[in-house]
Amino acid sequence: MPSDNRRIQGPEVSSPYCLFQSGNKNVDVHSGRSEVLSSRKDSRKFMEHRKIYLKTGVVSQAKGSAYVEFDNTKVICSVFDPREIPNRIEYSQHGELFCVFKFAPFSCLTRRAHQQDAQEKELSLCLKRALEPAVCRHEFPNFQVDIYVMVLENDGGSLAAAITCAGLALADAHVPMYDLVTAASLGVTGDKLLMDPVEEEESLCQNPNKENQNHGLITVALMGAHTQVTQMWQTGSMTAACVSDALTHLVQICEETYPIAQRCLVKSVVDTISKKAQ
Amino acid sequence: MNNETLVCVPGQRLSIADKSHLSGRGTYERLGYIYATLAGVVKVVKQDKASLIEVRSSNEQSIVPAPGDIVTAKITLVKQRFCKCIIKCIGDTVLSRPYRGMLRKEDVRATEKDKVEMIKCFRPGDIILARVLPMTEVHSYQLSTAEDELGVVLADSEEGMSMVPVSWTEMQCPKTHIKELRKVAKVLPERLSTV
Amino acid sequence: MAGVLLSEAEKTFILHGVQSDLRNDGRSRQDYRPIELELDIVTHANGSARVRLANTDVLVGVKTEIDVPKPEKPEEGKVEFFVDCSANATPVFEGKGGEELATEISNFLASSFASSMSFDLKTLCIIKGVQCWKLYVDILILECGGNLFDAVSLAVKAALHNTMVPRVETVAMDGGNVDLQLSGDPYDCWRLDTKNMPCLVTLSKIGEHFIVDSTAEEEECSMASLVFSVTDGGRLNSLCKTSVGSLHPHTLAEALKVGVDVGVRLNKALDQALAREDRRLEADKPERFGFLK
Repeated sequence: MPSDNRRIQGPEVSSPYCLFQSGNKNVDVHSGRSEVLSSRKDSRKFMEHRKIYLKTGVVSQAKGSAYVEFDNTKVICSVFDPREIPNRIEYSQHGELFCVFKFAPFSCLTRRAHQQDAQEKELSLCLKRALEPAVCRHEFPNFQVDIYVMVLENDGGSLAAAITCAGLALADAHVPMYDLVTAASLGVTGDKLLMDPVEEEESLCQNPNKENQNHGLITVALMGAHTQVTQMWQTGSMTAACVSDALTHLVQICEETYPIAQRCLVKSVVDTISKKAQ
Repeated sequence: MNNETLVCVPGQRLSIADKSHLSGRGTYERLGYIYATLAGVVKVVKQDKASLIEVRSSNEQSIVPAPGDIVTAKITLVKQRFCKCIIKCIGDTVLSRPYRGMLRKEDVRATEKDKVEMIKCFRPGDIILARVLPMTEVHSYQLSTAEDELGVVLADSEEGMSMVPVSWTEMQCPKTHIKELRKVAKVLPERLSTV
Repeated sequence: MAGVLLSEAEKTFILHGVQSDLRNDGRSRQDYRPIELELDIVTHANGSARVRLANTDVLVGVKTEIDVPKPEKPEEGKVEFFVDCSANATPVFEGKGGEELATEISNFLASSFASSMSFDLKTLCIIKGVQCWKLYVDILILECGGNLFDAVSLAVKAALHNTMVPRVETVAMDGGNVDLQLSGDPYDCWRLDTKNMPCLVTLSKIGEHFIVDSTAEEEECSMASLVFSVTDGGRLNSLCKTSVGSLHPHTLAEALKVGVDVGVRLNKALDQALAREDRRLEADKPERFGFLK
C-alpha cells in the first residue's frame, strides 16, 4: 500500500488510552494470571479450539476468496489470477506466491498504520512459506498468484486464521493444489498449554512470570491428507520437549479442522454446479 | 461408474494409481494413489485399456499459456525485427488477465524467413492466431505464426473498416477497395465459429 | 543461493554423501565449516564483531543511543536489528533483491531476542518511563556463501558481548527535563549479559537426514530447512521453516532434538572463542590483524 498523505493520519506521538485506565491492562494480566491458570475466561478447556466459521466466495471480483472466523478473530482473503512477475528478467520454473498480510487499522487495540510494518511483513513471509508446499507451482511457471489477507479483527491466532483462510481461497480460485492447508496456534505459559489463545492469553504467554519458565506461542500449518507440516513458527522460550509436545497437540487440532475446510469447499462446489444446472 | 456427480477437493484421494487407472488433468500421483488438485467434479474417461481420472473444476480454472497452445492475440507494437502483442484467449477460453507475447520476424512464416518484413505482415490493432513456442529465458511468451492456419484473422483498414482477406498476403477494404499487406491466416471453418 | 546449477547426477552424489555421513568437503552431517571470529574491530561502534564462516562474511556493529521508552513498557530499553544485504555480497542483492532476505533475518533475530529471559531489556533502563538506552544492531553482509542465519547470529551475539554501554554518572531532574551526565572516563562502561542469548542453527533436510551449515550446493539439494534459535541452556527461543517444502511431524520432532543439540554445542564453542578474544584484547598490545584478513 503506498503512503497517502491525504489520509488523516493519527498524531505522530500517541499512547493507547488503555494505559491510563484505572485497571491497567498489564496489572490486570498479572492479577488474572492465577485465574487463567485454573480455567480460561471463555470457559473453554485448555485443549479446546474456538468455534470456526468458514465461507468461500465472499468477494465477487476476486478469482477466489474466503472468510474465516475464530470467534472474535476475523480474517478475509482474496486470491487473483496468475500474472506475470513484474521486474523479473530471468525465467523461473516455478510460479510464485505473492502474499500480503495486513491488519486493518482498527483491528487491534492500538491503531495500525496503512503501510505494512515489520511484523506484518514477517507474517506475510510466514504465510507464503506455509502455502508454498501446497500449491502446484510448476503449473504456472513465470507467474505469480497474488494473495491478499486482511485481518478485520484480531483476537489472537490471526496467523493461523490467515493460513486456513488463504488455503481455502486458493482452492476456491481453482489454483491447482496438492492439498488443503489448515493451521492452529497454541500458547505456552509455565506448564500450561493453551490451545488457540485469545489476544489476552497471547500477551500473557509472551512474558515469563518466573525465572526459567516456558513461555511463548507456536503456530503450525498442516496439509491434512498427507500429514505434512508446511509451516511451524515459534517464539518465546521453551524446552525442546515442550515444543514437540505442543506440536503433537497442534497437529491433532489441525487434523480436526481439516474436514471442516473440506466440507466448506464441497458446499461451494455443489452450489456452483446447482447454479449452473438451473 | 454411475452417473451421479462426484465432488472432490484438493488433496482428496481418488483412486489407486496402476495400469488401469491413469492420472489425468487436475490430479496428481503420490505413493501409488491418485489425488485431486482442484475442487470440482471427478470425471472418468474410458480409454481402450485404462480409465483416465480427471477433475474438472466447477468454475473456470486459472490457466496460463503453455507451449503448443493456440492463442488469440492483439498486436500492440510493430518493430523491424519483432512485434509485441497481448494474448487475449487460449483456445476457447477468454483470459481474465492479459498476458504479453512477442512474435519475432523469424517466426512469422515457415518459408522465405529472411524476406519477411514485419510491417508487411502485421499492423497494431490486428487480431492474430498464433502458437505458443517453448519457453526460453525470455520473460514474455514467444509466439509463432509459421503455419497456414495462423496469422491475421481480423484487421481494420485505414478507413476503419473490417477488411476481407483476398490472398495469403493481402486483405482488402470493402469501402475503399485499397489492398493492404498482411500475413493472412487460412481460417478453417470450424475455427471460424470460435474466433 | 542463486546461481548454483547442479545436474541430477551431482545432486545424487551429494545425497549419497549425506546418507553415508561424509559430505563433499569431508565433514560429517553435524560439522560446521571453520569459523573465524574477531571482536572490537570498528572504532566508532560501541561493540563490533566480524564472523567469517567459510565464504560467508558478516560484520556487526552495535551503537547505543539514548531514547524515550515505549509508554506501554516504561521499564524497558529498546533494541533494533538491521540487516543490510548489500550488492557487495552477491549481485543477486542488487537493488531491492536482498530486501526480503534482510527483513527475514532481522525479524527472526528480533523474535529470538524477544524473550526477557534471553535479553532483559530492563537492564537498559535509565529512568523509568523517561529515558532508556536503545541499541542499534547493524548487520552488514560482506560476502554471502550460504548459511547466513547462523553466521549472522554468531556475529550478533559476539558484538553484543563486546558492547560497552557508557555508565551514566549523575541524573538531575530539572522540572520535566532530565539531565544525564555521562562518566568522564570513556572506559567506564558496563557490559551486557550475553549468557542466555541464542544462536541460530539452520538445519537442511537432504534425503532422510538433517545437516548443519549447508554449502550453496547442498542448499540446492535440500527439500526443506528449519532455523532454530537455541540458547546456552538448550531452550528454543524461536523456530521457523525458511524454505519451500514440508515435513512430517515425526521428522520435525527429530529435527528438534538435533537442532537443540547442535545449538548447545555452538553456544559453547562461541563462549570459548569469546573468552579467548577477550584475553587477546586485554593484553597490553593486542595483536592486530588486518581489517579484512
